[in-house]
Amino acid sequence: MQDLYREKMHTYGRIFIVMGILVMFLAPTLVWITTGIAPNWARLGAGVFTLSIIFLPGGLIEMMTYSPILGTSATYLAFITGNLVNLKVPCVMNATEICGTKINTPENEVVATVSVAFSSITTVLIITLGVILLIPLRPILNSTVLQPAFNWVISALFGALGYKYFRHNWKLVIAPMVIIIALSLAMPTFVNGNVTILIPVMAILTVLISLFMFKKKWI
Amino acid sequence: MILAITDVNVVKEAWWLYAIGAFVTLFIISGSLFFAYKAYQRSKELGMPKEHVRKAVVSSVSFSILPSIGIFIGVITMSGLLGIPLPWIRLSVLGALHYELLAVNNAAEGIMASSMTIQDFVTIAFTMTIAIIWGALFTLFMFKKYQKSVVDKATEKKGRTFGPLLFQSVFIGLVAAYFGDAFSRIFGYNVREIVDGAYTGNSTTQYSFVPLIVFVVSFMAMMGFDWLVKEKKVKWLENFQLTFSMILGMTVAVLLGLGGIY
Repeated sequence: MQDLYREKMHTYGRIFIVMGILVMFLAPTLVWITTGIAPNWARLGAGVFTLSIIFLPGGLIEMMTYSPILGTSATYLAFITGNLVNLKVPCVMNATEICGTKINTPENEVVATVSVAFSSITTVLIITLGVILLIPLRPILNSTVLQPAFNWVISALFGALGYKYFRHNWKLVIAPMVIIIALSLAMPTFVNGNVTILIPVMAILTVLISLFMFKKKWI
Repeated sequence: MILAITDVNVVKEAWWLYAIGAFVTLFIISGSLFFAYKAYQRSKELGMPKEHVRKAVVSSVSFSILPSIGIFIGVITMSGLLGIPLPWIRLSVLGALHYELLAVNNAAEGIMASSMTIQDFVTIAFTMTIAIIWGALFTLFMFKKYQKSVVDKATEKKGRTFGPLLFQSVFIGLVAAYFGDAFSRIFGYNVREIVDGAYTGNSTTQYSFVPLIVFVVSFMAMMGFDWLVKEKKVKWLENFQLTFSMILGMTVAVLLGLGGIY
């Protein structure tokens, strides 16, 4: 039963990804066709190559790290709607914590899918509303008073979420926190300038340390 | 049909780019509703309490509002160089602000809004679109196999298994990385200059303990709200505790800013 549902979701998900990729190319292609001016191929090639050095392995690591958390449908949905690490993944983490579902179960599949779907809808609606109301909103959102709030929205997000995960697993938390504090003291600009690289590194390190503690029966 | 559009400012704000933006929005909403509906049907088959689905919807919507406003500010940031519709589209489909800024920087090094040509604009638009596609391609071609061969095996074992700990460890690593991001800023972080919505290549080093304070305040607020939900049985708060904790953390940042501390 689970397999049948999952198979179907893989099919729908793959169709959605292909459609999503086609939709992504609509804007640049239409600009090209309408103006008759092609991109500068040399600069395009160089730009794509440079960015892919980071984002090709990054894409693979993201798929491997986040797909178990998201489940089947939500993975396909999230990899087209984007903003994974700063929105979709924490959103699912929060919803599964509230509903008390376990990873890779049919119930978790439902909760994660609903969570990513409604998170995506909220994001596109807010961006669209913002575009419509851009003229009155621009001075408010760009105001120096409100700027610090949105500068540090990610710290607020992971601080709040951190409590939920640290509370249940305090033994697992000690080693990664010691490592990250030491790293921050030794090379602060590397840490805050490369957080996208640091996430998989810290995730792998924490998994290895936890595995060691698990084998020693400390946890 | 090729129209004789020669002014890049006309292209950047063309009605048909806005129409694509609206289409992309509808596409994302339709796709999301489709999967949500399938999940809802599945929840009925599984005999799941309706309450779970409702909780997932309410908590996810309330949780997503603040980060989405942050994403919208990204549209404003990039609009100086690229107009409104392209950043709107890019941040709606497979977008992330730091990536988009990097992409603009790579494709348009040295280009300012005043010196931009249509070719620059087309090149930037294609670069932003192509280079971020890898995650979607890996999902398309490898996810199914990966799920069967790795994820299922990690979670199916019975008895004392490492499976659940594996994923909790991933979460903790993720949170630790963001703690490092906040904590390390006390000792310095580089601020890259953005002009017209693109990096210029210049940067300055700044220092701030505000993100650490925001992190800690949100953490403590969550602890307080969690106590209210679990011990004082304030059940309605459950779906909003994350959002309220974030608001408290962000409010502290605003208050510190008003006191001249950034």
